[in-house]
Amino acid sequence: MGRQVAIVSAGFSEHSSKRSDVNMPELVNEAIINCLKKVPSLGLKDIDAFVTGNMPAFEGANMPELWSTDWMGARNKPLMRVTTGGTTGGSVAIAGYYHVTAGLPGIDTVLAIAYEQQSQGDTSVGLASTAYGEISILNTLGIDYDSLSRILSAGAAIGVAAYQATNYMSKARITEEDLARVVVHNRRNAAKNWWAHLKMPDLTIEEVLDTPYVQYPLRYGMLCPASDGACAMLFTTEEKAKDMCDIPVYVNGVASVANESAVLGYDGSGSAQTDPSAQIGAMRSSELAYSQAGISFPRKEIDYAEVYAPFPNQELMWLEKLGLFEETTAPEMYKNGTTALDGDLPVNCSGGVNSTNAIGASAMERPAVAALQIMGKADNQVPKTVHTSIGHGWGGSLNLCTLMVMSDEQKRKWR
Amino acid sequence: MSKLTQRKSLDYIKKEYVRTRTMPGSWYLSSYKFKFNIAHHQPMLEKLKEKKLIANQCSGCNRVFFPPRLVCGQCLVKPDRWVDIRDTARVATYAIAYLKNAETGEVEEKPMVLVQHDGADTCSIAELAPGVNVKDTYIGMPIKAHWSETATGGLMDIEYYDPIEDDAKDVK
Repeated sequence: MGRQVAIVSAGFSEHSSKRSDVNMPELVNEAIINCLKKVPSLGLKDIDAFVTGNMPAFEGANMPELWSTDWMGARNKPLMRVTTGGTTGGSVAIAGYYHVTAGLPGIDTVLAIAYEQQSQGDTSVGLASTAYGEISILNTLGIDYDSLSRILSAGAAIGVAAYQATNYMSKARITEEDLARVVVHNRRNAAKNWWAHLKMPDLTIEEVLDTPYVQYPLRYGMLCPASDGACAMLFTTEEKAKDMCDIPVYVNGVASVANESAVLGYDGSGSAQTDPSAQIGAMRSSELAYSQAGISFPRKEIDYAEVYAPFPNQELMWLEKLGLFEETTAPEMYKNGTTALDGDLPVNCSGGVNSTNAIGASAMERPAVAALQIMGKADNQVPKTVHTSIGHGWGGSLNLCTLMVMSDEQKRKWR
Repeated sequence: MSKLTQRKSLDYIKKEYVRTRTMPGSWYLSSYKFKFNIAHHQPMLEKLKEKKLIANQCSGCNRVFFPPRLVCGQCLVKPDRWVDIRDTARVATYAIAYLKNAETGEVEEKPMVLVQHDGADTCSIAELAPGVNVKDTYIGMPIKAHWSETATGGLMDIEYYDPIEDDAKDVK
């Protein structure tokens, strides 16, 4: 029941704050060509189905998959769009996995594509449009427009991340210097990655701490950029994968779990998740995915982790919630070099979302990089051999988590 | 120029791209009508006029929701029991936003706190008293609602929250 699925290739477009030389379909095409170039034996006619996704409200172009059908090579083939906010990329990758594992006749090879060209539109308007429907009930309950605009104008994503940061910092007893250390780790890694956006090879902790606050306790230098970019991943069955590449990467477990949204709750009725850094959804998704993949000791069995962390406090938090480190010990691991490129458990060697954030694509770039690290084809390749890696995605109002566990062996526990 | 207003960006390796043709366009979004069920709020709004707080409780998991909630997400039942909660609360989490004042052009610190009322299981967005330095606040700080003089039956009847001593009578 359910076929074993393998990843054979992943490709990226160049990421930048303004890709003024291409439009949206051309950007998508760039990633697809980069992905297919790595599998020379595969022609466009061998791809049976397509999954795609982005956040349409961020760019002002609705149904962009119709515009870019020809640029994807998807003409007259099954095409599906998935959009789940920040986890769009993760959901697209999981949908690609489901397509193959379902075992439908004639659907063996699936191309999953996620993209975002944020310079085309206004991301904050897109974010407000997703939040306003829920927030506006507070107006009918007697909270005036001034207070309401304060909630909105503080910015949806940074606003909720700042709450998370205060909670995490008081729980783990860390200072801003620990947050800045994570930023330096990410930006220096990004400098070795050809498609990353913020490449800062000489960044220091002092430089990050010198920038002003955007929202206490997060400073301007700690925030993720807004990028244009695309990512593509190729899923196929295990038999076909062996012909296509030397080291196919088997997908052993996937999970996408939503918890109650923090901070505002639904319909503005407050949230029962009083600690925004508790992240029960992330813990549930890791339990589910690890049990599918037969991982009992994540800290020992996982060799490489890519987590979705636009803000440095989140990177520390996810590593603990996904079972890779004990609670509140993650800042110490950045200090002693466990998470560095040549460390025991390298984390975010592509630079992470903190350096490159094309929102729709970000959550797919995590499993894509994690798969390439197993294949040995990543740009900032870790020196040790990677056997098992994870790619994580986060989105919604602090609540939706996707996770993909990959390995060079077929360790999936269910048949 | 104050330290708060400068937007110092960090240098990074940039690449120049050739520009293609760009067509500016604007997208007029018509006005939307969001629909809410507010029947379940009415008992609370009535009680607010008497400067009292009530919340509803789920009979499945006994969680207390303030502001009241239409359905419990854990049990998928309608919370149907009404319970009194105190007007003392604790700071669940906080953050400071730096916003530019439209008139003066100066950057103002605007604190935002989430408060959890004693006796409730959910938290809601609120403001602290104007004089309080937000950087002195901490998670779990005890606070007490400051009511406006004339209650009108809205959440804004609680103007802001005053910090109180940990050993105050209200907490006991």
